[in-house]
Amino acid sequence: MFIVLGKADIVVFERLRVGVADAASPILQAVAQPIATAAAGVRNIQAMFGVYQENQRLHEENARLLQWQEVARRLEAENAQLRGLVRFAPENAVRYVSARVIGNSGGGFARNVLVNAGSRDGVARGQAAVTGEGLAGRVTEVGERAARILLLTDLNSRIPVVLEDSRQRAVMAGDNSDEPRLLYVPANVQVKVGERIVTGGAGGVFPPGLPVGVVASTDGGVIRVEPFAELSRLEYVRVVDFGLEGVLPQSAVPLPKAPKGVRVVDPDLTR
Amino acid sequence: MAFGFFQRDAGLPTRLIPVTTTVLFAIISVVPLHIPGFAVVTPAFALMAVYHWTVYRSDLLPPIAVFGVGLLLDVLNATPYLGTSSLSLLLVRSALLSQRRFLINQPFPIVWSGFLLVTGAVFFFEWAVVSFVHTGPLSAQPFIFGAVLTVASFPVGSYLLARTQRSFLMRV
Repeated sequence: MFIVLGKADIVVFERLRVGVADAASPILQAVAQPIATAAAGVRNIQAMFGVYQENQRLHEENARLLQWQEVARRLEAENAQLRGLVRFAPENAVRYVSARVIGNSGGGFARNVLVNAGSRDGVARGQAAVTGEGLAGRVTEVGERAARILLLTDLNSRIPVVLEDSRQRAVMAGDNSDEPRLLYVPANVQVKVGERIVTGGAGGVFPPGLPVGVVASTDGGVIRVEPFAELSRLEYVRVVDFGLEGVLPQSAVPLPKAPKGVRVVDPDLTR
Repeated sequence: MAFGFFQRDAGLPTRLIPVTTTVLFAIISVVPLHIPGFAVVTPAFALMAVYHWTVYRSDLLPPIAVFGVGLLLDVLNATPYLGTSSLSLLLVRSALLSQRRFLINQPFPIVWSGFLLVTGAVFFFEWAVVSFVHTGPLSAQPFIFGAVLTVASFPVGSYLLARTQRSFLMRV
């Protein structure tokens, strides 16, 4: 019965979820802290064994990055010139809130995390959650001191993206596996494995150009994306306020009145 | 047994230990352990606790507590289908009540095998429910891994619960 109710009266159940998450966040935080410390300790010990190889690798990477720096400087200068030429409107100022992951949904149905920042820290629904590597997900529920982030891999996650080389627009849809699928890519578009995927900016939720992932496989017409962010070992995320108002609040969206026998396919699209 | 839960003589806090440990196990399954890929296949700790207490002290874990723990799990996990865990845990409880007389005096491997059956059934049930509501079969892989890991870590959870039971509930 609850399964049906939870789908029917989304607002009440969301309030319930947010309330419990809020109440549980101090407990979760207290338990998560020593575990995080222990995990960090284990990682430090592991790291010590690989210091030499790591150093070698970093030397090579550094050399490569210096080259890129040159390229970036040149492009930056060129970009500034071109922007001056076309009077490009600067992007909105962004605001960051860093938050620690204090809860990790387990099981096969859901891919989301609970973080220890909420409305009092300026987190609001619809904001993007990023890691150093790329987009991780978006904020779907906000309590006073905790918020839930729907990861890219969740069943209900739909993100408008762009294939970077071909500029083809697509929707990246999670299906609870580690690698989300790309939907609505026309059959005549050549998608290469390894092509970068960035946010498309459609829908006004994320700004265009946020790194998302790379195409991992194109077997049998199913295109799968490997996200840049390591979603399975998130420890901290940055919740970014891009000042975009693309996602309407739940209350502003009238729930569809489906006639009897007709099922609303995906009520989460109204989020 | 019917009025066992609120009998005051043994002290309410002691009698609440099964419920408390079950809630604790539910919370543990949500805490991030920082092991890559672990969140997806986190063992169902709450299932272990419900199994253990239903077999050994079903009088101290009333159905309403089982329901509450299931709800807590769903709310903390923000599963899209609220109540799935409550339903599956309650089904486990009612299925076990008929078998507990057999299981209670068996050696551990038999109890473990019983848990294997229960876990298999629960994960299959949850996979089926979510696939049905989602109108398409989900990838079964995380469910299978989750079930395997749950069964594999049962001895640890069972040992902790048995120790707790022996220390606090011998005379209750």
